[in-house]
Amino acid sequence: MPNSNNSGGPWGGGGNNNGGDDDRNNGNQGGNQPQVPDIDEMVRKGQEQLKVLMGGGKGGKGGGGAGGGGLGKGSIGLVALAAVALWGFASFYSVKPEEQSVEFLFGKYYSTGNPGLNFAPWPVVSAEILPVTRENTEDIGVGSRGSRLEEGLMLTGDENIVDIDFQVVWNIADAPMFLFNLAQPQETIRAVSESAMREVIGRSDLAPILNRDRAAISAEVRELIQSTLESYNSGVNIVRLNFDKADPPIEVIDSFRDVQAAEQERDTLEKRADAYANERLAAARGQSVQLLQGAEGYRAQVVNAATGEASRFIAVYNEYAKAEEVTRKRLYLETLEKVLAGVTKIVIDESASGSGVVPYLPLNELNKGATN
Amino acid sequence: MNRLPILGGVFIVIAFLAASSIYIVDEREKALVLQFGQVKAVKEDPGMAFKIPFIQEVVRYDDRILSLDTQPLEVTPLDDRRLVVDAFARYRVTDAEQFRRAVGTGGIASAESRLERILNASLREVLGSVTSNDILSEDRILLMNRIRDAAILESDNLGIEVVDVRIKRADLPAQNLEATFARMRAEREREAADERARGNEAAQKVRAQADRTAVELVSEAQRDSDIIRGEADGERNAIFAEAFSRDPEFFAFYRSLAAYEVSLQGDNSTLVLSPDSEFFDYLKTDGAE
Repeated sequence: MPNSNNSGGPWGGGGNNNGGDDDRNNGNQGGNQPQVPDIDEMVRKGQEQLKVLMGGGKGGKGGGGAGGGGLGKGSIGLVALAAVALWGFASFYSVKPEEQSVEFLFGKYYSTGNPGLNFAPWPVVSAEILPVTRENTEDIGVGSRGSRLEEGLMLTGDENIVDIDFQVVWNIADAPMFLFNLAQPQETIRAVSESAMREVIGRSDLAPILNRDRAAISAEVRELIQSTLESYNSGVNIVRLNFDKADPPIEVIDSFRDVQAAEQERDTLEKRADAYANERLAAARGQSVQLLQGAEGYRAQVVNAATGEASRFIAVYNEYAKAEEVTRKRLYLETLEKVLAGVTKIVIDESASGSGVVPYLPLNELNKGATN
Repeated sequence: MNRLPILGGVFIVIAFLAASSIYIVDEREKALVLQFGQVKAVKEDPGMAFKIPFIQEVVRYDDRILSLDTQPLEVTPLDDRRLVVDAFARYRVTDAEQFRRAVGTGGIASAESRLERILNASLREVLGSVTSNDILSEDRILLMNRIRDAAILESDNLGIEVVDVRIKRADLPAQNLEATFARMRAEREREAADERARGNEAAQKVRAQADRTAVELVSEAQRDSDIIRGEADGERNAIFAEAFSRDPEFFAFYRSLAAYEVSLQGDNSTLVLSPDSEFFDYLKTDGAE
């Protein structure tokens, strides 16, 4: 039955894929006809049905009953009805919106069925259903298939090693081409993807891969995969390519992180130096202004003081000029008055010294008395 | 009533004969009709066909593109740097008759092992004649095409057509990995040290420039302030000179009096005076004589 054949399996035809493997392994033994029901089996089924019929007939005869023939006719009709129902069940099949079916007339490609109810008269026409719009994902580089090199370590053009994980998302663009041209589509897509990625990585240097070129690499690889698959007429469409990871290998990642840390450190040092410079220059500017303002203040002070003193002198002089003698005397006496009022005074009559008495003058004690 | 079993028997026989003389070739297959091991017919187009029952048998081959992944292979390019290479081939059976003759009853498995030997040989030959830099470059496509062409030529008599050969991996052998990692680490260390040193350099430069500018600024300000102070002192002298030059003698007198007043303070001075001093003139006599 075509429908039951197509119900399972990842590609809507799992039974067929298994058949293909068997065929490969057994070589010339393998005649697999997954979508065309085996004729031998058909014949055997027919024989079984006939036996049932004949058995019924014999039973009727052996019993010798009058209704034997009627019973035989009735059961023949029933069986015929059942056969027609079974045939109809086997011939009609439905295709879901995301699917397409491929129909074969005696094994030869005949037409492509669109979503809805489809008719493939058994056993002449058979059909296979493929999920054409469904997106399939292949993860490459994250696999755990043995050696380190198969975990996504790739050699770059400048002989560095980079760890790359990526994902290829694909769907079926052309159902008949997909079905007729690739024996192992999944393996083929994986192998082509890995080859394309390694080829592109192999001619690029490490730094651009790690930094900015991911989008460009991704586009280039996608194109390469697509064109290779098209050269096989595979009917596969690469929807997109996701770059999960493009890192240095785990063995050296600490060194790469140290470089980043060093870049940060450099930045910190430069920023700190800038801070110091700003502080230093601001202080210097402040000090300069202080010096200049101080000098200007000094100028004002000195000039003002001089002007004041000069005008005071001039005022006094003007008065002095009017009555020189009197003013001069007055000024002299006033000053002496002020001065002599405050100081310790010793008055010695020098004419008295002529009598031979040398006056004893204890200057130290006098000073002491003055300070006390 | 006796005819029914006979009819049935005849039907069975006819059906059985039909079943063993009709065969169907799928779109994805090629078929050979063998008669006692001898190829009688080649059926390449899909559809229904007939054969002589019992004495002829049908052998089918997959007509789709088949895949073959080679085992990793160590090759030595011209520059003696060894690389581990694995490739995959895509091929299809084109001539079923020749294929059968070449591989016998071994089928696809036998063909695969022969194809793999052919591939390995042409991989070694092509990759051994170039440098490893060529393999790790744009030239890889050309090399793959050369390998494919060689494989096509060699596999011609197998009845298969090699559609494509692609190098999957071209990597360093596992023994060389650690050395490569060490080199990568060293390169990063150099880069990190360089970054740090440049950071220190830049910081020191900025600090030194700041120090210099600060000293320059302050010294300029010092210079300017001294100039200003000098000008101020000069101005002061000019003012005084202008005022005092009106009567130098009176100035000397006046200024001396002011100086006496300031310098002869009570606490720090003791004067020893003679009564003959002018100040005491009137102390001795009223001067009225």
